[in-house]
Amino acid sequence: MKTTFNYTIRFILVFSFVTAFSACQKKEKAGEDLNTEIIGETNAILTHAPEVPPHITAKHNTKVIVNLEVIEKTMRLADGVNYTFWTFGGKVPGSFIRIRQGDLVEFHLHNHPDNMLPHNIDLHAVTGPGGGAEASLIAPGKSAQFSFRALNQGLYVYHCATAPVGMHIANGMYGLILVEPLEGLPPVDHEFYLMQGEFYTSKQQDANGHRDFDMQKALDENPDFVVINGAVGASAGENAMRVKVGETVRLFVGNGGPNLVSSFHAIGEIFDQVAIEGGSLINENVQTTLIPAGGSSIVEFKCDVPGTLHLVDHSIFRAFNKGALAQIKVEGAENHQVYTGKQREDVYLPEGSAVQHITTKETADVAVVLPEKTLEERLSEGQTLFNQNCMACHMENGKGIAGTFPPLENSDFLQARNDKGIGIVLHGLQGEITVNGTKYNNIMPAVKLSDDQVASVLTYIHNKFNNDKVLVKASDVADWRSKND
Amino acid sequence: MHASTFLVAIFITLQAFSQENTMVLVPDGTYKPFIKGDSKQISVASFFIDEKQVSNADFRKFVKENPQWSKENARKLFVDSDYLSQWESDSTVSKKSASGAPVVNVSWFAAKAYCEWTDRRLPTLDEWEYVAASLPYNSTDTNSIKKLIADWYSRNDTKSNYKNAMGVWNMHGKVWEWVYDFDRIQSNSDSRNKEEVPAGFFCGSASLNASDASDYTSFVRYAFRSSLKGNYTVRNLGFRCAKSK
Repeated sequence: MKTTFNYTIRFILVFSFVTAFSACQKKEKAGEDLNTEIIGETNAILTHAPEVPPHITAKHNTKVIVNLEVIEKTMRLADGVNYTFWTFGGKVPGSFIRIRQGDLVEFHLHNHPDNMLPHNIDLHAVTGPGGGAEASLIAPGKSAQFSFRALNQGLYVYHCATAPVGMHIANGMYGLILVEPLEGLPPVDHEFYLMQGEFYTSKQQDANGHRDFDMQKALDENPDFVVINGAVGASAGENAMRVKVGETVRLFVGNGGPNLVSSFHAIGEIFDQVAIEGGSLINENVQTTLIPAGGSSIVEFKCDVPGTLHLVDHSIFRAFNKGALAQIKVEGAENHQVYTGKQREDVYLPEGSAVQHITTKETADVAVVLPEKTLEERLSEGQTLFNQNCMACHMENGKGIAGTFPPLENSDFLQARNDKGIGIVLHGLQGEITVNGTKYNNIMPAVKLSDDQVASVLTYIHNKFNNDKVLVKASDVADWRSKND
Repeated sequence: MHASTFLVAIFITLQAFSQENTMVLVPDGTYKPFIKGDSKQISVASFFIDEKQVSNADFRKFVKENPQWSKENARKLFVDSDYLSQWESDSTVSKKSASGAPVVNVSWFAAKAYCEWTDRRLPTLDEWEYVAASLPYNSTDTNSIKKLIADWYSRNDTKSNYKNAMGVWNMHGKVWEWVYDFDRIQSNSDSRNKEEVPAGFFCGSASLNASDASDYTSFVRYAFRSSLKGNYTVRNLGFRCAKSK
């Protein structure tokens, strides 16, 4: 794939060649010259993922004032799962901060008065003890201020470093700060912010699906959820990033951890170039790049064909079973010279984001009865569940893949069933079937969803793909289970 | 006994008894400290501690009789700008804070002055931790305290109401509490000690100094204390008093 950043790469190659002869000498960095003039001051623009603050156009270094607020709040982690996140800026990951090498940063950290706990911040972009952690430890209702000079360029993680550190990070306290070269990064059509993190959760604690932090799972490094941008589906489906064919994309990707290393990959794309670990070393033509916990990567590519790119942790069970999946929808004209379309080799194995089983039956570990939902609620939740569990095979439009994965669209097979499809979702399906006149012989694993989730995903399938307009209730699923399990 | 001493004694006793909060006699004992120290177990001598946290109503009496501690008069050296901010004024409590609820937004100086006004004192860190380690009454589940704390911070569930085996109410799960020497741990991380392994509660040094690095609920409590200064007031920080035997 042809890179669009030849100039940069040539520059870097020449630069590396020159510095190779002076390996023993410490590399001279513009920002280390503390005599560069700081002109004026500005308030940093902060953004929530996947948005990235705009390019900085000033030609000189500036005093940048950053105001970041710590907020503890309960939000959705996955459908039917709520969690009390500890956040920098109200969302996970924390607000994206964009500054330039040589800038003087005046950092203000505010701990909201309603918070329960003290917090602080350790920015990996800071040269100084604790990355600012010691200077910024604050009780609820207090603010702390410290200043630092951005000596090194790169894409850096920041996180809370208040004891217990692992727990503060596990609850979502991480984000990215980009220190650009003074002249800025080369222009691209789109920049996005993605950050992976995993969550260790207890059993469901109440009817709202609230789960608590589970220390033992964190120690065992055995998360229930591995997510991109703070929740399952946060940047997928309707929330997917959107670009057009021919456009160039730069992703600022971080990994908050607290434990797992990410095998970052784009299904359907090759990274034209990767700033390894968010630093100055550029690799080209990369399929999967490792992002350490507490580390980052800057990846760039050009979108040559239309379709949906799945951005995943290619430690793949995390992507399809625990949530580590984001999407970029590329819209525009087909280019059959690059990609011809339907070829079976390009299809991923049938898997979903819920726990699956093929031979054994399991009952849901939580038997909390949720109130029945309206059609609108079922359709909304059902879409997310469909995208996580069904779309990989049955396709986003429900048409499936002829001969391999049967269609759900206007399906005579589905509409003829008395169980509305409940049995298929709960127990899976194996062997030869005929759908709309075409024979299929494949295996669909059972999908371990709650009764409520089964009802939503089936309601979505029945209503959105030109089938009978049925509202499936959680009680229908429970009835079926009581008769057949 | 000299007559005037006798009168003073009666006066103090009456004032102490005028408070609604009853005290519990805590027996001699030991507890395992969370912070690694010279001794594996710390001995605590028998003392009295308030059965419950000091309430808004209790504290209002104090402010009424000691106007130098009112919202208007309290010196900024001793309290920050949020002092008693849950009170609409010195005589009315806003709806959010019932008069029986623990008083919060009080500084260490104010809490200490309250206890001294009743001829008592704040419990020491060791005393407080010793009492707090007592399991809920009739419970043998050592995880029950962790669960109380987790419920509280995670879901802000302050409905929990429990008495521990010593007969003291709600050591965990209502509000954080001041102790007399709250800054004992923090003071070891003074910047003058930078060459040594810092004993504070940042990053790795926290786990190096903990007796059980997986005891995250204790970490939370110790970290909270280390973020405080004497004049700080916090929306979920109150206190109770103690008295030597």
